[in-house]
Amino acid sequence: MNEADYKELKKGGMMRQAEAGFFSVRLHVVGGRLDTKRLRAIHDAAVRFGRGEVHLTTRQGVEIPNVRQDSLASLKEFLAPSGVGVGVCGPTVRTVTACQGCKVCPSGVIDSPELADAVDREFYGRPVPHKFKVGISGCINNCMKAEENDAGIKGWIEPRWVGSPCTFCGVCQAVCPTKAITTSSDGDALIVDAERCIGCGDCIACCPSGGMGEKSRGYRLFAGGKFGRMPFLGKKILGVLGTKEEALAAISAVLEFFRAHGKPRERFGDTLQRTGFPALETYVKETTGLP
Amino acid sequence: MTTPLLDITGDVCPMTFVKVKMGLQRIGPAGKLNVRLKGEALKNVISSLKTEGHRIAGVEKEGELFLLEVEKKHE
Repeated sequence: MNEADYKELKKGGMMRQAEAGFFSVRLHVVGGRLDTKRLRAIHDAAVRFGRGEVHLTTRQGVEIPNVRQDSLASLKEFLAPSGVGVGVCGPTVRTVTACQGCKVCPSGVIDSPELADAVDREFYGRPVPHKFKVGISGCINNCMKAEENDAGIKGWIEPRWVGSPCTFCGVCQAVCPTKAITTSSDGDALIVDAERCIGCGDCIACCPSGGMGEKSRGYRLFAGGKFGRMPFLGKKILGVLGTKEEALAAISAVLEFFRAHGKPRERFGDTLQRTGFPALETYVKETTGLP
Repeated sequence: MTTPLLDITGDVCPMTFVKVKMGLQRIGPAGKLNVRLKGEALKNVISSLKTEGHRIAGVEKEGELFLLEVEKKHE
């Protein structure tokens, strides 16, 4: 097989194995969710075309290893009726990872699987200068490691000091993990430092009087993270985005920026090292009108 | 009748919450319980009390410690 043919196969999720003539077939999975119908189809395919085993990937995906090159097309056909698609590799938007979100997890702030599905529908497999990974954490506990993704989302609760019911009991200041809440110089108000606040909402959950309320809850975007050989943590950009649509618009603009400024085979974090994060933030704000 | 005092300054999570829960079992609906605790226990104790429907009627700071006046839920 020539390299050009292999590149095409790889883009379509067929990963060449160390053993000549065999491929590990990456499947299309979103946020690690598979219904039993699809699981059964994957089981049957692994028995029929592989060696009866699957590999669970680091990004919540499934691969069927040990598939002969001449079976790749029939494997794809076999899986299609059950709704299992083949995945992607190469310079594309990759598997979207997500936690179970607020509908399942008591800590959840946003519906992560819902956003993951939307991101997948809009952007999965789209060409970009280099691989681009999106991960969605439903809350600040960050099980999906937002900062390790080219674009990461965290569910976020932004507090606001309401005033009058507050008794200045000191509980919010004591429970704040980043000491983001201070008393004003004349002692008659509390000030929340938005830069230090990590959006956990503990101050609100623990407030005995109702003096600490919710300003907003939604999606917080982190850009430019990656792992692998040269790890880099993504940085927070924009304010708290109130809706799934706003989060999608922001990710769309981030991808546009990457296409415009990224060099071939350059990860987004490295592009941002060259352009600076403010250039990205300005571009996203100007094109989307988001805060 | 004076409000009973529960001191959990020497306990760590989850015993802090367990002891408060047991303390509340010994009093009637809408009864009061004072709880003395360290700052690091505040988050788990208060958030679980609120989730269970109890009310924090008062908070006093005692240096590094806190004294909570807990009002058991009315039912």
